[in-house]
Amino acid sequence: MTYLLSNARLAGVFILLLLLTGCARNPVLLQSTYSDLPPDVELQEVPFYAQTEFQCGPATLAMVLNHQGIEASVDQLIPQVFQPGREGSVQPEMLATVRRYEQLAFPIRGTMDTLLGHLAAGDPVVVMQNLSLPIYPMWHYAVAIGYDLPNETLILRSGEIERHTMSFSRFDATWARTERWGFVVAEPGTLPDGITARNALEAISAYEEVHGASAALSSWQAFVERHPANSVGQFALANALYADQQEDEARSAFTRATELDPTMGAAWLNLGILLLQNDELSKARSALSKAANLDGEWQARAQQLLDGM
Amino acid sequence: MKTLRAYLSTLLIAALVFTSLPLAAAPTAPQSMDLISTQSVLAGDRAGADRERINEILARADVQEQLLKQGVDLDEVDARVAALSDAEAQQMAEQLEMMPAGAGGGVIGALFAVFIILLITDILGLTDVYPFTR
Repeated sequence: MTYLLSNARLAGVFILLLLLTGCARNPVLLQSTYSDLPPDVELQEVPFYAQTEFQCGPATLAMVLNHQGIEASVDQLIPQVFQPGREGSVQPEMLATVRRYEQLAFPIRGTMDTLLGHLAAGDPVVVMQNLSLPIYPMWHYAVAIGYDLPNETLILRSGEIERHTMSFSRFDATWARTERWGFVVAEPGTLPDGITARNALEAISAYEEVHGASAALSSWQAFVERHPANSVGQFALANALYADQQEDEARSAFTRATELDPTMGAAWLNLGILLLQNDELSKARSALSKAANLDGEWQARAQQLLDGM
Repeated sequence: MKTLRAYLSTLLIAALVFTSLPLAAAPTAPQSMDLISTQSVLAGDRAGADRERINEILARADVQEQLLKQGVDLDEVDARVAALSDAEAQQMAEQLEMMPAGAGGGVIGALFAVFIILLITDILGLTDVYPFTR
């Protein structure tokens, strides 16, 4: 009986090992990654600060901010992002702290191809990993600074190791446990290559909430240049232009937003309000009635304005 | 917190209802000419504007309290809460407890069994816990 039991246990361990090795396969990269990206990249100029205790959050932020030319020491960042009770730093505060230094934090798309693309474009990427297993997590932030495609290794500034090389497969296994979370840092007015339109909209909008529309204007301009057909981008640009007292430019951007997406009630409504302020009543009426005829949360407001005319 | 929250919500609801009353009562009064913000468009399909505003104020109060509980300096708490976007504040208020906190380098003073499992997964290239496995 004991013989049987120990056999079963051995078999169990064996199956577990099989399962685990099954997961350890190399991440499959797109053919275009091999053909378009340089075979190896290392952003050697990214500074290194060894983390003390549980301070990998402040340390990674110091590295990427200094790389941007921003003065920010680990000691200065600790009270801004570290949570003593949790002995760590959480993702939203990592992004928020970047904004406190008047830089934008853009979450990246979570794929190995995108990660390598950002490195090839010269942007170090802050990545979050779970170095351990989900049942016994060990959350960690590191800065990816380079890769070696032929050898399938990633180069990181991580913890106390200045140049930590890791196979793609090991890295991807640890990264996948955070749903492949990572971000790049850029100054206002620049939009790093490879950021999705949605992530860029959210990042610039969050920056605008903290620093105001005029401070975000150059970033909206960069966004519209990259995604000229994005109606929400035109709308956001128009709002920032208006806040910056460039009313004519704001009006034409609102008009472009309505042309790109005739069902965007908020754009019709804002356009109508601008026209109303300018006493162009018949144009205002036509824009407001478009907004009033579109189902959605702006409908009532537009109707109210129409009634008040 | 529960009572504070309930009290604060009642107060906010009352305040918002009260301030919106004159508009409802006199639709011919001069209209607000404020533009719709980019943030409320991005928030899009989320709930109505007033409820949204209440939630945001409550979320920030919540986050503030939680950060204090986590031992963040009193002088820093306000600036940290202010740096969050509304969406982030809400996310923090709802799930800070469950949120992974990146720490790294924490020595695993664990059971021997856990040590062995992580040692094996390290060797298999699934984890990156012990530097000596490479």
